[in-house]
Amino acid sequence: MKRGLFVIVILFLLLAGCAAKDEQTSGAMEEMTESHGHGDVKITKHFDESLTMLTDKNLFSLEMVIPAKQLSMGVNTVEIIVHHASGGDVPQAELTVTPWMPSMGHGVMQKPVVTERGGGLYSVDNVVLSMTGHWQLQVKVAKDDKEDTAVFNFPEVKAMGHEHAMMHAPPPKDLDYATMKMTANNAYNVMYKSIGGQIRINRIHSWELTINDAAGQPVNDAMVTVVGDMPEHGHGLPTQPEITKVGAGGLYRVDGMKFTMPGWWVVTVSIMVDGLHDSVSFNLNIL
Amino acid sequence: MLNFLMRASGAAAATVLLFILFSIVWPGPALSMDQHTWSEQEKAVLRSLSIEALGSLPVDPSNRYSDNPQAAAFGKKLFFEDLFSGNMKVSCATCHRVDYSFTDNLPLSHGMDTTPRRSMPLIGVAYNSWFFWDGRSDSLWSQALGPIENKLEHGISRTMSAYIISKYYRKDYEELFGPLPDFMEETFPQNARPALDDPDALKAWVLMTPEQREVVNRIYVNMGKSIAAFVRTILPQPSPFDRYVEQIHAGETIPSRMVLTNEEVAGLRLFIGKAKCTNCHNGPLFTNSDFHNIGLPQKENVAPDKGRAAAITQVLSNEFNCLGQYSDAHPNDCPELRFIDTSNKKYAGAFKTPTLRNVAERPPYMHAGQFATLREVLEFYRSQAQNPELSHGNLTDKELDQLEAFLHALSSPIASFQAEVQ
Repeated sequence: MKRGLFVIVILFLLLAGCAAKDEQTSGAMEEMTESHGHGDVKITKHFDESLTMLTDKNLFSLEMVIPAKQLSMGVNTVEIIVHHASGGDVPQAELTVTPWMPSMGHGVMQKPVVTERGGGLYSVDNVVLSMTGHWQLQVKVAKDDKEDTAVFNFPEVKAMGHEHAMMHAPPPKDLDYATMKMTANNAYNVMYKSIGGQIRINRIHSWELTINDAAGQPVNDAMVTVVGDMPEHGHGLPTQPEITKVGAGGLYRVDGMKFTMPGWWVVTVSIMVDGLHDSVSFNLNIL
Repeated sequence: MLNFLMRASGAAAATVLLFILFSIVWPGPALSMDQHTWSEQEKAVLRSLSIEALGSLPVDPSNRYSDNPQAAAFGKKLFFEDLFSGNMKVSCATCHRVDYSFTDNLPLSHGMDTTPRRSMPLIGVAYNSWFFWDGRSDSLWSQALGPIENKLEHGISRTMSAYIISKYYRKDYEELFGPLPDFMEETFPQNARPALDDPDALKAWVLMTPEQREVVNRIYVNMGKSIAAFVRTILPQPSPFDRYVEQIHAGETIPSRMVLTNEEVAGLRLFIGKAKCTNCHNGPLFTNSDFHNIGLPQKENVAPDKGRAAAITQVLSNEFNCLGQYSDAHPNDCPELRFIDTSNKKYAGAFKTPTLRNVAERPPYMHAGQFATLREVLEFYRSQAQNPELSHGNLTDKELDQLEAFLHALSSPIASFQAEVQ
């Protein structure tokens, strides 16, 4: 948390300094040209690793910085710098950010919170992505009587914890093969069970998850995702499992689990309730 | 003194020579004692690879004729029928030869023309979840229909197939599937199919009425379901490896009685141990039926084969898939399609792990016949030691010999539905 704050402060200082002098060309600045149907418009980038996008009617250009490098399932923060198409920063605009899942045709209940930092910089907190997959962030900018929209695409939003397992590592000794564990930040207690007994290699099967909160009360209305990884090989399940809420007893059914290699697997269960996200990884030895 | 020294060194040399001779002739106590001793976990792995673990044929809910002997008999006739081809010379058996473990001996199979891939072995194919090298079909019956309309394979259309059925197989068909309509050339075009590679055939297909298309599709699908009913009876029989596993579980340890040679057993030990072959070649058919890019050398001047990555959309949009109107399955009985991993990136250039049963009987190897011998395959895997997916340990030449010997122990006669009658 402290580190996130630090990054934001640094970003803010950098951008404020940068934005104050429009014509300044520093090392971090880079000019690029983007074709967007209405001819070429120059976008001045403040950061190398930012995403840039012109709004639909070419009124504004937007630059998005993701302090965590990439969006993950769960709660995210992004920074947006708004420029006029002509180049100047746009302070005191009204920004609305909407997460949207185009393939599912839905967004999320939680509304992102936009705070203006000055000099055309806006930070957007509480960007909640409830599942893995293709997400869009629709950004609507209103300034005076002008209003325009841009859509940022994130084709492969993954669950947190997914990247950690991709390390081509041999299994540590004394792996914990427990089937019931607390999540990383102790928010939930999770238990898994393979329906139909012992897990068999190369067979599609189903799991049952039981999720309780820290006080032991069943959690019946969580957004849950399940990701499987083989740390020694750097790849995951050959399927995309589906999770169904049972609606009572903290129970969830996971269909479409399949393990196609013997050895050490890590299955990460990510849970989100009311924007509170936490995850837990289970070790499995598939014979 | 000098004499003594010379005699002493002579004796020492003789001792050394004797020892060397002895160690060449006698394999040593450790080898013969431990050769057939397996830990409980290893025994469990051996059992999982044994033909005993295969179990009965899996039900194909998408094909209600899959276990119908009459359909299998009809399918067998279709399998060997040359009429279903543009030159009346190509049948399924052209590339799936009975005398060659139901595949052929070519690097790239040849029907009407040369195809971009090798013919797949059909032995135990019914146990697969996905069919073709890239899994672009999710059932054996929809797989069987692919080559018929492929220009490079059989090179005819579904309407022509329906004609041939009505003309030459009317009785067989009607006994199974009910009355056929009369096929008049004025009402049904001979060369019509929903194909993007043949505009004339596509136009002819589109100009047919929906009812006509439905009639033709139904006949075509029934052909596929019959062929599948036959092909699913093509099964391995117990190999020397399977008999060895039986011996081990029966407690047999006397070396002279064992089915496998010492070299084959050493290869087996490598296969399930150091060489980690069971990472992908697991289960009684020695395959996980999954798709992997193993970094095979690319052919020059040919666009790279995208493999599984290109097949995902194909199988999802295939009118003959498990969820389509011609499938007999309830949607809940299509888990592979329902939970399909749609990551194109992950499956770029990935191909299905083939079964290793009878592998020594059917060179060449890999999806495009890249390697002529098993030895070349093993050498290739050894060269991929840097790839974490493929790290097979630092195998010595001798160990490659042992693995190769073991692979020969996976051969068996093939059982199939009246395969001997042709």
